[in-house]
Amino acid sequence: MRRSTAARVFAEHLAADDIVVCGLGSTARAWREQKAPHLTYYASDPMGLGPALALGLALARPERRIVLLEGDGDLSMNLGVLVTIAGAAIANLRAAVFINDRYETGGGQPLPNAGRISYVMLAAGAGWPWTGEAHDEKQAERLVPALLERPGLGLLALHVDAEESPYPADAGPTSQSEDRAVFQRRLAGGP
Amino acid sequence: MSEPGTESAERIVRALVAAKVEIATSLPDSWLTPLIARIEAEPSIRHIRVTREDDGAGICAGASLGGKRAVLVCQNAGVLLSANALAGYAHHHQLPFLVLAVYRGSHEDTFYYQMYKGRVTEPVLRGLGIPHHVVDRVEDAGVVGDAVRESQLARSPVVVLLRRAALFGEPS
Repeated sequence: MRRSTAARVFAEHLAADDIVVCGLGSTARAWREQKAPHLTYYASDPMGLGPALALGLALARPERRIVLLEGDGDLSMNLGVLVTIAGAAIANLRAAVFINDRYETGGGQPLPNAGRISYVMLAAGAGWPWTGEAHDEKQAERLVPALLERPGLGLLALHVDAEESPYPADAGPTSQSEDRAVFQRRLAGGP
Repeated sequence: MSEPGTESAERIVRALVAAKVEIATSLPDSWLTPLIARIEAEPSIRHIRVTREDDGAGICAGASLGGKRAVLVCQNAGVLLSANALAGYAHHHQLPFLVLAVYRGSHEDTFYYQMYKGRVTEPVLRGLGIPHHVVDRVEDAGVVGDAVRESQLARSPVVVLLRRAALFGEPS
């Protein structure tokens, strides 16, 4: 499954008022390419802290569903966060991990123990009440709605192809703090 | 006579509540036991236990992104571990929150393995460009509320380092 396919399935199934927190690297690239209308915060650096930031946002905004789109490089940097999130017993957070077994934007280097890590077993062992694993588009089409429609915390692992993901040619038009200010303005109901 | 640390914990949590802090993350230190217990008991604060201190920083940043005030409670080793997180949220995202860190490794300590932390904590914070304050006495717990305001004004994490005397001393 291409990463853009996995991202598209989310774009098609998210509710209009869902908030996306997106990890860095190729997952962020796949989600940006969807041009989905959902309010999105790109967690950017510090690497490894996207899940924690998503949890904090979910705690602050219990009336909104927060959907974390995360890469395996980012998550494997800090597996302890799976324990922290499970312990928080939060109802309005869902997580998806795009697994390509490598640091794609950094040059395609393999993750340690690449191909032999089970993120669903790690999450289940940490106490997550629901996990799912999609190896292809058909499974993703079934499991993304299952993740979103369940009443509480869940993690869906999606296996995606290794693809090129070079660094962007320019720095982009806005800084992280400017993006943060726009996100907060939209979160407050502004344009 | 109250249990050691109870008076300080009460003052600090009252300052947090007055400063509208609603979310706390923590990783324990033995000197923090009364404070974390008081936070856990505070009905207006949602307390999240973390496995790493930089996760606590990330949660506080996310809460701040969502419009809530948050605090990370940890040892100064957690401040050192969180250097990248603190710098990123201060200078890249510009998201404010408070860090209350017990200041191990000074003249008050009795453990040799804590001493290196006392030597490097403040120089590291200065290097990171993170504002910080040292609280020496129970009576100065009000700094906690000032630091929350400072963090909001500066759009940055602010660290308050709590000496043992500030956590377990008797008010004069």
